Amino acid sequence: MEIMIETKNLTKHYKNKTVVSELDMKVTKGSIYGFLGSNGAGKSTTMKMLLGLIRPAQGQIQIFGKPLQGKMRLEILKNTGSLIESPSYYGHLSGRENLEIICTLKNAPKREIDEVLKLVRMENQQHKKAGQYSLGMKQRLGLAAALLGHPRLLLLDEPTNGLDPSGIQEMRELICALPKRTGMTVLVSSHLLSEIDQMATHVGIIDQGHLIFQDSLAVLHEHSQSKLHLRTTDTAAALAELQRNHIPAEEKEGTIILRDTSDRTVTCAIRHLVYAGIGILRAEEIQMSLEDIFLKLTGKKVSL
Amino acid sequence: MLIRCIRCEKLKLKHSILWLACLGIPVIPAIMGTFNYMGNLETLTPGWANLWTQETLFYANFFYAPLIGLCCAYLWRLEHRNHNWNTLMSAPVPAWAIILSKLAVILRTLILIQIWVGVLFLVSGKCIGVENRFPVETLGWLLRGTLAGAVIGALQLFLSMVIRSFALPIILALLGSIGSIYAAAKGIGLFFPYSLMMLGMNSNHAENMLEGQLAVFLASSVGMLLLFYLLSVLYLKKTDVKA
Repeated sequence: MEIMIETKNLTKHYKNKTVVSELDMKVTKGSIYGFLGSNGAGKSTTMKMLLGLIRPAQGQIQIFGKPLQGKMRLEILKNTGSLIESPSYYGHLSGRENLEIICTLKNAPKREIDEVLKLVRMENQQHKKAGQYSLGMKQRLGLAAALLGHPRLLLLDEPTNGLDPSGIQEMRELICALPKRTGMTVLVSSHLLSEIDQMATHVGIIDQGHLIFQDSLAVLHEHSQSKLHLRTTDTAAALAELQRNHIPAEEKEGTIILRDTSDRTVTCAIRHLVYAGIGILRAEEIQMSLEDIFLKLTGKKVSL
Repeated sequence: MLIRCIRCEKLKLKHSILWLACLGIPVIPAIMGTFNYMGNLETLTPGWANLWTQETLFYANFFYAPLIGLCCAYLWRLEHRNHNWNTLMSAPVPAWAIILSKLAVILRTLILIQIWVGVLFLVSGKCIGVENRFPVETLGWLLRGTLAGAVIGALQLFLSMVIRSFALPIILALLGSIGSIYAAAKGIGLFFPYSLMMLGMNSNHAENMLEGQLAVFLASSVGMLLLFYLLSVLYLKKTDVKA
């Protein structure tokens, strides 16, 4: 598998405070790498280092197998699109004029402007001044700018921040479609596990500058075992019935919790309860929250 | 690459009303100078040469540096606002081209301002009926002033890049202009960037202020121009981007 981004021992301090610490990141070609972490965990700092916007205190960065330095950096940037922090735009220029600037800087053909405008569905607002755009539109303009020049790698820092629910959905669909359509590799950061869950193929979790988890989404799911919450007409009887059948269960505030959510256990449990004449009011699968996963991975509580 | 960067800089200036300031501000010293000339006709020898001294006195000493400072501040404000630093610095263009393209835009503005100052001089002289031969050497002074102006432009570009405030670099330009009179009086004018303009433009002097010193003037100007340019490039290369 071709490695698109590889960092070794990547470290950054700000005034004695270590923001990113010995980060070894690996992003493979064609993946959507979800970069997960709470606010201030070091996501933006890492992404800025990947673009050469800020210089690491220690460590190496290789993108497309080349070191991010000097002439190579420009070569890498030519093939990289990015949307970092809040969207950037020249407020007195129209959306289209903003794209023209990026297009010129990237030396991409002008016709691509129409392509990306269509892709982010902004053809109708392209002549409006960018300063008058809503946050969602600015965000989409930023994505359009990042997509100019057919980059092989896309770095998106919290691209759904500040968007309304339909905007979030739209952004997600756009991002998910990119690798399939263009073979692009995407690194997308978020502080929401659910969001990463819906977009990513691979996940890296950063906590206080440390990369505490990095693997495929499937492996993360093994960590984030879910629970089944059952509400029944008779909690006490239900619990007794499950225990009698050796199905591990516990009770909390009138809800029965099954830790094992394998298909076999769930069918078994429900069948026994129904046969015992206990009515099932709700059966709800509860995902482990990001906090829970952090707790499990780091052994300490984090505030999000 | 540089051409692309310059094209972008020109694009960014679209819809701006900067040209209005560049057109309007030089009119003030021209009017002030003309009135000064007319008011002091008893002590001044009438003629183009003295009209030039009066007009450029105000232009070179007080108005030029803040005006070009305003242009530089505007150019960088575009990047300081709305996180544009991120976009600018993640574009596949080298730092030297970014600075040089901004300098090129400033230089173009400066040349247009200098031509405009020349036109204002001619028009004001014709209006008040100045006679005798038009001094051709003023064209040379305008040219020298353009080089001096480029030095101040490069310095102001550096200041406005480093200082996020819009107004502060312009205030510094104003203070520098006032300080330039002092520096010139002390005889160190050739090495104080803001003094170069009055020396180059030969302001307030009918005879050539740089007689025998032209080489020093040229060397000092080109040297400082390079210094401020390289300083800007170095800063851009070595500093973390704060958007």
